[in-house]
Amino acid sequence: MSLYLVQNQSRTADPTPYESKLAKAIEQVFGDGGHSLEALVDGLNEIGIHSPDGSPWSQDSLTAEMARLEQSVNGGR
Amino acid sequence: MARVYSPGALSAEQIFATGMRDQWHAVCPSDWVERGAIRKLERLGEQWVLYRQSDGRVRMLADRCPHRGAPLSQGMHLGDRIACQYHGVQVGSDGTVLSVPGMPGCNLEGKKLVRSLPVQEVGGAILAWFGTDPDVEPAPLQIPDPLAADDVSAFLCYVEWDAPWRFGLENLLDPMHGAFLHHESHSMFGGAQSARFRIRETDRGFFFEKTDQRGVNFDWVEFNRTGVDWVDLEIPYPSTAGPGGPFGIVGMVTPIDADRSAVFFWRYRRVTGWERDVWRFLYRTTLEDRHWAVLEQDRVMLEHMAHDADQAENLYQHDLGVIRLRRMYKNQAEEQAKALTDA
Repeated sequence: MSLYLVQNQSRTADPTPYESKLAKAIEQVFGDGGHSLEALVDGLNEIGIHSPDGSPWSQDSLTAEMARLEQSVNGGR
Repeated sequence: MARVYSPGALSAEQIFATGMRDQWHAVCPSDWVERGAIRKLERLGEQWVLYRQSDGRVRMLADRCPHRGAPLSQGMHLGDRIACQYHGVQVGSDGTVLSVPGMPGCNLEGKKLVRSLPVQEVGGAILAWFGTDPDVEPAPLQIPDPLAADDVSAFLCYVEWDAPWRFGLENLLDPMHGAFLHHESHSMFGGAQSARFRIRETDRGFFFEKTDQRGVNFDWVEFNRTGVDWVDLEIPYPSTAGPGGPFGIVGMVTPIDADRSAVFFWRYRRVTGWERDVWRFLYRTTLEDRHWAVLEQDRVMLEHMAHDADQAENLYQHDLGVIRLRRMYKNQAEEQAKALTDA
């Protein structure tokens, strides 16, 4: 019987190009030291990654988008 | 007289090799057993069948029809019971024979002839009580605190390794390997490569921790016995992982058999609100792959160790946690073997 060894258990599909780009930009902002929501919004807007409707991020739009994107499977809570 | 299969009086060596009895063990992720599904699994060196009833409850039976010993896992799910594919014998959730269609009224009907393990679901995993005496109630299961806390978010990572369960658990009681084996990783590149450790007792186990460094690498682990054996540990994230501080791991290792193990890692972080959502988004898109690279370093090391690697060691101060763990399990295996022989 083969052993179970699956790398990605928290998602059912690969990230979309949009998700990958957004994740990379978020890590960049965090890596520069900005860990507050305000710093994250400003940082993403500076990089030029926009919200899905094309407008700059606001705290509300980013919070809402993160709530949408966090959904997961397999033991996530 | 009706016969119920049991593995019999196991020796202390067999118990040490295939896992402690009379405690809860994690068995598999919850979503491995969907509603209406039947799943065959080997755990603690024995064959089991799990199925989820139409009411959502998971059941776990020895995978052996009481009639001719055929695997029930080949059978048919009938909502609350399994019908053996071989001769149609129906076995209920507590192991009672409910119907023998080939011979209605047969004296097997109404008898409890299949071992049935109590199960609970915790943090997206199925846990079962592996009791030696079916008439003894399971001990209470205290859920690992991080999996019950409101301010904690967690993902279960489940893997199976071609290594004995004790290697997996001992690896977790050995924080020092973080600074070496995982030196090239996203989370354990920092800190000193030498340390002094101490054991600190708790009312449910013990801490094994560095005395001279905390919050820099894999610097402490807590071993807990709360009906189930589990460890808690903490490792820092780099700044790129954002707010929320270090991530933790609640770890359990369950023997599949003497040579292979089922590993449960709940990676968790104390985050709420937008910080929780961002961490979960990053976990799914980028962090899970980095955690995986670290876990693979462990797997490759442990799978390549000789199965008798622990027969000629020369241990030093950093191995006190491992020594403590082994002594505890060896003593417990002796006690359980004696109880089984006396029974």
